Amino acid sequence: MNSAAVVSLPPAKYSRSLFRPTTVLVEDEASDYPLVESIVGRLPNAEVVVVKRPTSADLVRLSQEFSPLTTLFLARHRGRFLKACPGTAETYRCCLYQILHLGLGCNIGCSYCVLQGYLNNPFITQFVNLDDAFAELDRELARPGTFYRIGTGEFTDSLFMDPLTGLATLLLDYFGRCQNAVLELKTKSVAISALLDYPGEIGETIVSWSLNAPRICAKEEGHAAAIEERLTAAALCRQRGYRIGLHFDPLLDFPGWEDEYRQTVASIFAHLKGDDIIWISIGAFRFMPQVKDVLKENHPQTNITAGEFIRGLDGKQRYFSTIRRRLYRFLVTEIRRYAPNVFIYFCMEDQYLWQDTFGRAPADNQELGHWLDKCCYRYMRLKGTEAEGAK
Amino acid sequence: MNNVRTDHCFLADIDFADRTFPFSYGALPARLEKSIATAGLLQPPLLVAGKNGFRIVCGWRRLEVLRKLADESGEDEILVNLAKNISLQELFRRALWENLAIREFNLVETADIYCAALKIFTLDEVEKKIMPALKIPLRPRFRGRCQAISGFSQELRDLLAAGSVDAETVDLIKEWSADERSALIDLVTESGLRRNKLREVVGRLDDLARRDQISPFELLADVRQAALDEAGNIDVELLRRQLKARLYPQLTAAHLEFVARQEKFPWLKPFRLDPPPDFEGGDYRLNFTFTDSKEWEEICAQLNAVALEDIDELCRRS
Repeated sequence: MNSAAVVSLPPAKYSRSLFRPTTVLVEDEASDYPLVESIVGRLPNAEVVVVKRPTSADLVRLSQEFSPLTTLFLARHRGRFLKACPGTAETYRCCLYQILHLGLGCNIGCSYCVLQGYLNNPFITQFVNLDDAFAELDRELARPGTFYRIGTGEFTDSLFMDPLTGLATLLLDYFGRCQNAVLELKTKSVAISALLDYPGEIGETIVSWSLNAPRICAKEEGHAAAIEERLTAAALCRQRGYRIGLHFDPLLDFPGWEDEYRQTVASIFAHLKGDDIIWISIGAFRFMPQVKDVLKENHPQTNITAGEFIRGLDGKQRYFSTIRRRLYRFLVTEIRRYAPNVFIYFCMEDQYLWQDTFGRAPADNQELGHWLDKCCYRYMRLKGTEAEGAK
Repeated sequence: MNNVRTDHCFLADIDFADRTFPFSYGALPARLEKSIATAGLLQPPLLVAGKNGFRIVCGWRRLEVLRKLADESGEDEILVNLAKNISLQELFRRALWENLAIREFNLVETADIYCAALKIFTLDEVEKKIMPALKIPLRPRFRGRCQAISGFSQELRDLLAAGSVDAETVDLIKEWSADERSALIDLVTESGLRRNKLREVVGRLDDLARRDQISPFELLADVRQAALDEAGNIDVELLRRQLKARLYPQLTAAHLEFVARQEKFPWLKPFRLDPPPDFEGGDYRLNFTFTDSKEWEEICAQLNAVALEDIDELCRRS
């Protein structure tokens, strides 16, 4: 099935939040923000508790009183909202992505989630001082001649509770008209009703899905939507005019991985055409060494860390390069069978594997960033050149 | 302490088996033995009446030393502090803080105190007062670790108390069966594996067991057999290499291939060529030594004559 022939699914699925908290903790200094009122208004049965701005110790204490599985924390963010993606070391190529930091954590429960080892806040947190975020964006995006690829799906899933927060609509209001930036919403959910129903200009907003092998989806991705569901949602978004991004990250090495990933690639192109896809990123599984214990503690049944992992140049555990190369070559070949021109890039990979897989490698992070910028029509308009993508 | 009076008691009247206040486990410090042997008991232990004699609240190590000395001297009457009309909780608290004031608890003691506290206090009190005092983080992994240690065999607990096994190793073996842990103790005893290497070995066994879905017991028997030297003793380095090769087959193959590749280039003989660690990244390192300018010039000439194709071949990723 291609994007022109998508069968409509019941809309309820797309307007359902993956997260339905029974308690909402509201930081006292955040209680007057409009977003608090609208979120609480959508949770009429939830208990609302106002708390003083918590320290790390308070958060631990609060997590004993209120289960992080069923509690949403609404807070004011005091730091910068726009940040460089944390993977910017020069040892591996990074695309110089910018993160719009509007929330923390999600309840999907992927066993491999690296956030398990990073976050010291146990609660799914939504920052509510959006006026500060947009003011910061105004200041930053005013820099002449600079182009930004901005995403909200690094420290959380961009859409998993969008029906509660209504954030996608607010972001589209801002980025739909923005001339020198594109927004990428990354998700494993199908909560896309706000995107489909958005009445205004969506600009070049990218909706991206993280994809994996069906077996990994079933075993390791908690209650994320099934691969077919994600791709059906992607096709619907494409119909509405969004550009679609796909992310194979983390790519895992497990018995039978070829057949499984082949199946996912076939599913992609049963739902989408190559031209519908702005980019596909690939990144083999990697994690900070200390995450291994946390991961085993939270997901005792998983064996994804029991592979041939070596210490990478950035200190992270990653598959031995021969394994990565085999995974990459296979996946790229499979994708190219359906879409020879789609732009594929590696997330945090070394130039040898770039060269080995694609026959070319970005000289540095700037060049990789430039390749991705060139995939965006807005970038082309900004720079006054023809849109040629980065095939 | 209003409800504590100093009195005499006989060692035979003390219930050494009672573990209501499990604040000490492990070998007796030699310094304590020497001190008591030389100067006698300076600080009386704290006891409380129990079903089978006096329970030791505080001072188990001092009493054990005295018992040892009494075997030689025959003197078994000692001065003690006896608690009366003090709640179990209060005695536990006093003993905990008195011990904490003078020393760190070992892993077995920490685990035993946590488990004993669970029987005496409410969960809330344990989490808010006891666990922070013992520096046990409020996470399931650490609670599980304590409960596991309390259920370990005495042999394993002795190794833990002596510091021969660390907490990370406990996390890995806590799900193992008693037989599997017993086989591991045998391996430690036979091979003399030290703490850090033991952690590495157990980590690899755990990874292999999870990856290949086989029991650590089976694996242990396998690698143990393969690591025997000619005299039938376990060679620790061979054991580690065996495990590494099994867990990292492709990396091991890459190393072997790299070594074999070097054989093809006789000009490499005077040099040592090191690949990047685990072949990650592209930085190869060539090592050589020289004693004077003449030797330096000879080496430079030799290197300048190397064909670039040879370099590409040597640095090729397998």
